[in-house]
Amino acid sequence: MGNLLEIRAVAKNYGPVVALRNANFTVAPGEIHALMGANGAGKSTLVKILTGVISGDAGTIKLNGEEIHFTSPDNARKNGVAPVFQDPALIPDLSLRRNLRLTNTNIAKFEEKIAYLGLKINLEEQVSRIELPILRMIDLARALAHDPKLLILDEITAALPANLAEVVIRVMNEEKARGNSVVFISHRLSEIGEICDRVTVLRDGIDVDSFNTSEGDEDRIVSAMLGSKITSAESKNRSASISKEPLLTVRGIKDGDKLVNIDFEIYPGEILGIVALEGQGQDSLFDILAGEVSAKAGEIHFSNKKVDFSHPADAIKLGISYVPGDRKTALLPQRSIRENLALTKFRKLRSWNWINQKNEDSLVDKAVSNLEIDTRASSQVKQLSGGNQQKVTIGRWITTGFDLLLCFDPTRGIDVGTKNQIYKLLSGLSAEGKSVLLFTSELREVQLVCDRAIVLYNGKVQGVFDAAKADEELLLNAAYGRN
Amino acid sequence: MKLSLREQYWNLSILGLVIILTVWRSNQLPVFGSYEIKTIILGIIPIALLAMGQSLIIIGGGINLAIGAEAILINCITAKYSEGSDFATSLRWALLGIVISVIVGAVTGWIISKSGIADIVVTLATSFVLIGFALFIQPGPGGGVNLDFAKYFIGGEDSYLAPLFVLFLPILLIWLPLQKSRLGISFYAIGSSKDAAFLSGVNVARTRVSLYAVGGLFAGLCGVSLTAITQAASPFAVISNTATLNSVAAAVLGGVALAGGVGGLFGPALASLVLYYIPTIMLGYGIDPAYSQIIQGALTILVVLVGGLLRARGKR
Repeated sequence: MGNLLEIRAVAKNYGPVVALRNANFTVAPGEIHALMGANGAGKSTLVKILTGVISGDAGTIKLNGEEIHFTSPDNARKNGVAPVFQDPALIPDLSLRRNLRLTNTNIAKFEEKIAYLGLKINLEEQVSRIELPILRMIDLARALAHDPKLLILDEITAALPANLAEVVIRVMNEEKARGNSVVFISHRLSEIGEICDRVTVLRDGIDVDSFNTSEGDEDRIVSAMLGSKITSAESKNRSASISKEPLLTVRGIKDGDKLVNIDFEIYPGEILGIVALEGQGQDSLFDILAGEVSAKAGEIHFSNKKVDFSHPADAIKLGISYVPGDRKTALLPQRSIRENLALTKFRKLRSWNWINQKNEDSLVDKAVSNLEIDTRASSQVKQLSGGNQQKVTIGRWITTGFDLLLCFDPTRGIDVGTKNQIYKLLSGLSAEGKSVLLFTSELREVQLVCDRAIVLYNGKVQGVFDAAKADEELLLNAAYGRN
Repeated sequence: MKLSLREQYWNLSILGLVIILTVWRSNQLPVFGSYEIKTIILGIIPIALLAMGQSLIIIGGGINLAIGAEAILINCITAKYSEGSDFATSLRWALLGIVISVIVGAVTGWIISKSGIADIVVTLATSFVLIGFALFIQPGPGGGVNLDFAKYFIGGEDSYLAPLFVLFLPILLIWLPLQKSRLGISFYAIGSSKDAAFLSGVNVARTRVSLYAVGGLFAGLCGVSLTAITQAASPFAVISNTATLNSVAAAVLGGVALAGGVGGLFGPALASLVLYYIPTIMLGYGIDPAYSQIIQGALTILVVLVGGLLRARGKR
């Protein structure tokens, strides 16, 4: 039996930057194929070529043995290749029904798929009012409604709550059973072995390894991605060294029906993990602690003083820094790494003071080398890969100094190597006596970096666990409200 | 189309404002009969048509600073060649004028798509070009049109039915079918998010050409209606610039978001009534026209401010 998809020697350059050097990639019918690679390895470029978003400079694509050239995403969809991107391709200002009109999607079939995914949707709802995880599922339902031969899922499970991720995996298996194929892109290594039949790993725009998942394990993927063996961040075990006086105490925080009643404390030098399924009040908790929103009730004590924030600047002044989940909201995308790193320093200047360029340069240089930021595409932050952008968002607070860092899912959509660097960074901060509140959608991070973890469920603290005992099963059960 | 709640509220508020101003205006006049109604409708037809064209372009994520110049150019072409002509000739020139305006719009859209230069820059430049052409064709005020042809716009002595038709026909014949069509949805799509529109299978460049072409259609209708109503043409940049600015103001007042993707054409059509009433009412009191400009500007800011506050509250 021939291959469904056959990509041979595809290359793509953006000016002097080589995105794909020589990529080969084949997908058999009825196969779930993982496409892996560190950030900047050429994964997203390959997906874009495969879905008709851009066209390659060289190489051939064959679908069912026939050479094909996708001119647009619409064209790819008509040929049976349907993508679901990390950022759902839905028009925010239009209702769902009109969005479906735009893609010529059969409404009845779409509704059938929505029911199949176990969702309830109002077709007149405006897309901008729908939450991201649900939008991804809607995008998936739309792709399925086109009866694709090849489904491309780009980071779909990233930041998807566990219950929806399970649905996606079920869908993939059922597509496979029907003889259709799935290209699956994920940074969650643990998913790969379980779900996928084959793995292809890209590095520097070349497919460096391709094997059946029965023949290799996570280590093989990681070493192929990195080109050399790396040690994973060692799990830590030093909760004993934490002092008795809490840095931050939260008592009875409420915010409508999002946060019912939250109590917890963080000690100096502690990394406290927060685990929750999507929409359990974690967003609201972080917004309150960062001073973006005021709590409806309850008290926050910081360094033994009762505090009340009316603006993020109040929290920053006290030494609470926020690294939001969406990197785009934290950075000035059109400005340089240098300016972004120095941005938070400027608040110490008076409005009309000169910026001490020499001072700034040395600070920024230090930060860049400490954080191992890849500065190749350096002129604008928006040209950096996601992982490097994340390092900039954390790094700029390090150049400024803080006591408590609020990190909202900092490793979402980031490759393993960069993840390990971020873990090391956070551990290093805690060793210096800084505290970190870390929301994570990847359960294993709790044991990798945290001292303790609290699980939120329905706007309440469901449980507090020592990281040493908090394995993924325990956390997941608590996150589902069972314990 | 089902209007969103926001659009319904917005349209209702503008409608309320229009009713208040209508009562105000009718109290100023000794008699308020069909002749006065007709005068009002004739006064707003050009503003409303241009506002609808501009609104559509803004919904599609663009803006056309040459839309007033497009209308003036068509006004000059049709008035010059229809002067003293028979009905058939006037009609032929009117249709030709509309076709020219559609082509001018399409070319504008094409230049914007191909060059990648911002809409505001390209259309500012084309506005000079178009006014230049208008002056070339009709160097000063003048021209005319066949009176039987004009009757279809201005109607009989005391009947306001014909002008009312002219006002509503474009909404019924162009807008209602358009916003149900895939093309209409594509306009909203490229105005809302070009990337998502592209990924949804919209040909962004081609859609933008159509967007400006339909905008040109409205500008052409405006030009022809100017010829029929005034039975003359004036090729002056001041007129076209004021018309353009009014069209943007009506779009904003009518609930069209300048960021694109949001709004409809009913609101701007209603809002053009507000823009017509303010100077007229002021003039009725014998107040200096300069004041009416200040009030009109202040009112626009106020409405947008209130709208913005309401939206911010709705998001909470």
